[in-house]
Amino acid sequence: MPKKYNVEVTLTPPRYIPIGKFEIERGEDCINCGRCAIVCIYEVHKRQDEDLRCMAEPVAYRCKGCFCCIQECPRAALSIKENEEYSRLGDSYWTPEIISTNWYQAETGKIPVSGAGYRGPFSGEGFDSMWTDMSEIVRPTRDGIHGREYISTAVDVGRKLPAIKFDSQGLIASPIPPTLNIPVPIIFDRLPFGGFENVYEAMAKAASYLGTFMIVDAEEWFKGVGRKEMGDGRMAKGERSHLIPYITQPTLHGFDVDWIKTCKMVELEYDEVVLSAINEVKRINPKTIISVRVPFGDNVEELVEELTYAGVEVIHLYADLNGQTFGKSLFIKDMTQNVHRHLVEHKIRDEVTLIVSGGIAMAEHVAKVILCGADLTAIDLPLLFALECRYCKECREVLSCPVELKDVNPQWGTQRIINIIGAWRNQLLEILGAMGLREVRRLRGEVRRAIFFDDIEKETFDNVFVWGGVIR
Amino acid sequence: MISPTIKIAPSRFPNEISEIEVIRDLSKCINCGTCAKVCPFGVHERKTGYNRVSKPLSYFCIGSSCEDKPFYCVNHCPRKALSLDISSEYRTIGDYRWTRDLIIGTWKQAETGIPLKGRRYEIGNSGGGFDRISFNFPENEGNRGNNSQLTTHKLEDTDISTEIDLNKREGTKISIRVPFYGGGMSFGSISLSVMLAKAKAARAWGTFTCTGEGGYPEALEEYDDNVITQVATGLFGVMEDTIQRVKIVELKYAQGAKPGLGGHLLGDKVTPEVARMREAISGSSLFSPFPFHSVYSVEDHKKHLDWIKELNPDAIVSVKVSTPTDVDMVAVGSYYAGANIIHLDGGYGGTGAAPDIAKKNIAMPIEYAIPKVHEFLKQEGIRDTMTIIASGGIRTAHDALKAIALGADGVVIGTAELVALGCVRCGNCESGRGCPRGIATTDPELSEAVNVVWGAQRLINLYAAWQGEIVDVLKRFGMMSIKELVGRYDCLIENCEITQD
Repeated sequence: MPKKYNVEVTLTPPRYIPIGKFEIERGEDCINCGRCAIVCIYEVHKRQDEDLRCMAEPVAYRCKGCFCCIQECPRAALSIKENEEYSRLGDSYWTPEIISTNWYQAETGKIPVSGAGYRGPFSGEGFDSMWTDMSEIVRPTRDGIHGREYISTAVDVGRKLPAIKFDSQGLIASPIPPTLNIPVPIIFDRLPFGGFENVYEAMAKAASYLGTFMIVDAEEWFKGVGRKEMGDGRMAKGERSHLIPYITQPTLHGFDVDWIKTCKMVELEYDEVVLSAINEVKRINPKTIISVRVPFGDNVEELVEELTYAGVEVIHLYADLNGQTFGKSLFIKDMTQNVHRHLVEHKIRDEVTLIVSGGIAMAEHVAKVILCGADLTAIDLPLLFALECRYCKECREVLSCPVELKDVNPQWGTQRIINIIGAWRNQLLEILGAMGLREVRRLRGEVRRAIFFDDIEKETFDNVFVWGGVIR
Repeated sequence: MISPTIKIAPSRFPNEISEIEVIRDLSKCINCGTCAKVCPFGVHERKTGYNRVSKPLSYFCIGSSCEDKPFYCVNHCPRKALSLDISSEYRTIGDYRWTRDLIIGTWKQAETGIPLKGRRYEIGNSGGGFDRISFNFPENEGNRGNNSQLTTHKLEDTDISTEIDLNKREGTKISIRVPFYGGGMSFGSISLSVMLAKAKAARAWGTFTCTGEGGYPEALEEYDDNVITQVATGLFGVMEDTIQRVKIVELKYAQGAKPGLGGHLLGDKVTPEVARMREAISGSSLFSPFPFHSVYSVEDHKKHLDWIKELNPDAIVSVKVSTPTDVDMVAVGSYYAGANIIHLDGGYGGTGAAPDIAKKNIAMPIEYAIPKVHEFLKQEGIRDTMTIIASGGIRTAHDALKAIALGADGVVIGTAELVALGCVRCGNCESGRGCPRGIATTDPELSEAVNVVWGAQRLINLYAAWQGEIVDVLKRFGMMSIKELVGRYDCLIENCEITQD
């Protein structure tokens, strides 16, 4: 049995005071009795250091919304409301909850655990319109999370042969294509913004520690940060081997041939002449695996089929930042299923590895997109959240970054990214263990182990509401 | 049926959270005291010996419905210093499943024992499941039988029974007077006072409460006839004696909030007393395994039930399971293993600590599981010999009624009880000293906040309000027993109206 894969997480506190969910206001009626400081177990309320007779301003970011101080204050002088800075975080897809839960995971490396039942809507758009299955009694289960049973999260990237031919001596006669074993089904995608030297360094170091890979824009990397990095030796050779250069056709000519020779994987943007570009790269380095980056668009199924028949080993399907596909705006959950099913119908699913990216915001999305048919995912924004990004989008308007991403200490950043992946992986183990699966490869395309809102709603309530009308 | 006495049990906090905030502009108020004279509800008060009128006690204010009353303080104030607004606390509290009105409504019912009417106290804002289902009341509400039949007669409250049978197989017959009982919450996840309050209320109403997975505290022994011993995967605190002293034993295979995962009690909450009860070491986190490592088939499952029945032949056995896609098979398997009750715990159920990813994503909501199991047991011809109990998101009497109309015999409640005791669902039960409001904690100082007698009264009141509402709904349907409602899909109607903001 191979060595067990384990992600060491370490508490890595944020650089800035976190944005709390609540705001607490102390009114003029306060008589400084200190009752609030007694009832609050989160140290929101304290007396002033310089004058113990007076209460200090509440440290609101620590507030967990228990309402104790509000309800216990003898003068009803305290009030609570939702912190606007918190509710303004992100947008309708990257919600404040998603951003803050990723901050927590980057800090602690722990699975978010809380008391009381689920608080959110019954179901929702996209990934929120499906649940995952579990096993009990009549099916075997796995006790994975505390390491009592080892669950593998490794995936193989590259072409797998449907059958192997042997020669008369019994030796393997088929040419075996190269594959890459990645211990977590998560690679790092190109960043939409925030691509500063220190950020890249932290990502590359984390990718190297985790044994995963990081897609970098070859042109940008080569001209800018990358060369400097490599030049002054801040990035070790081992770390460099975890980069996947992303190359567009025009940059291919005159590209650093020596770099390609050392790459385990290269990503090419799709266009009509991509096959000749693949040949060119393979000529330079036959051992490298080539991924073709294809936008999720209308009729992408046929394109994926065509590329697979043409011998493409890996296809990276990408949607926009919010997981919406281009063309008819569909969600990656549905499009991934379409592509997967199409390949299964043509009996060529195993010949190609599918990387899906765009809108992967939480650990549950990794599990769900794999359930829908992806082999692995690529993530972007959560890596920036690990470095405290607030997704305020100010940098897009060339305004200054409130958390100064460019000044991130790479060591600190590396650990934060390791923490977030460690926490995500443990959550993936929870899902796999509950389903009774011993490895993530078995999860791919297991749509019968998922519960889709539209299906079950119809299956259940068509039978129930057959009697009456509908109130609208 | 003689109901337990309802006594007003007000909030234990000086400032109860209210919808309305009465605002006094101190720059305008001249402390004339007119408001204190006109308000019949005691919102305004000028204490003897004080020059100033006290800060308004907004909780007693009846809100905008006061506007046309002759005693409306805002109109009487000579300096126009008073105004009403929605309080910021009311805006902040609550979530999609437990809306502000459901929380505050549960508090009010626990205070008064009177059912609260109005949709905002009946459904939440989750946009699906129970929150999209309404009752399809007949046109001739409150009549027994069809209009065309001569047997039609008006029902009285006293004609209506809310009793259900928990055992439909051979063996001890057990029935409960209300179609719900208290869910398993362990000593450790909640305080001893809360456990005792639950047990007292269960005894008063002739129903049950459950130990959860954390042992059987000695103080609970007084309530043996109303306690269910839970045997869960960690077997914490399970002893021969704890199985033998009760009428119902519950085998917990899984929990809706964390299906496929064992129980979590984080180290901070494992106090010496909790550790003693669980035969563990204080300060160390206790994670129950998943699943029962001795159960991988229906045959193994039967072995567990046989083991319980060997120890206590008079007990009936409930099997608590979560809601996977094959929950119907699990239910049938449990029947053939000898279970009396199949207890389905839906994915949105409560917990003292669970990974957020599990609460949200793993296993289906209870609304789907109930009809699935109900139909399958009917097809298998064993529906009449198996009791279906549903839990995991039963917040109100209306949810309970809907679950029953979808095919359950009764329900288990958990979070609603804790809300009755003052829970605001802040969700911080798991860490540090536990619940800041003294409910889900074993911290000696914090748990003093809940007094057993007060807590029991709050629960008795809540049960009374629920029972009253159930009777009322049954009456409108012209039903004489809750048993008539089981699986009556025709009593339900899809409600697509957008709920609250």
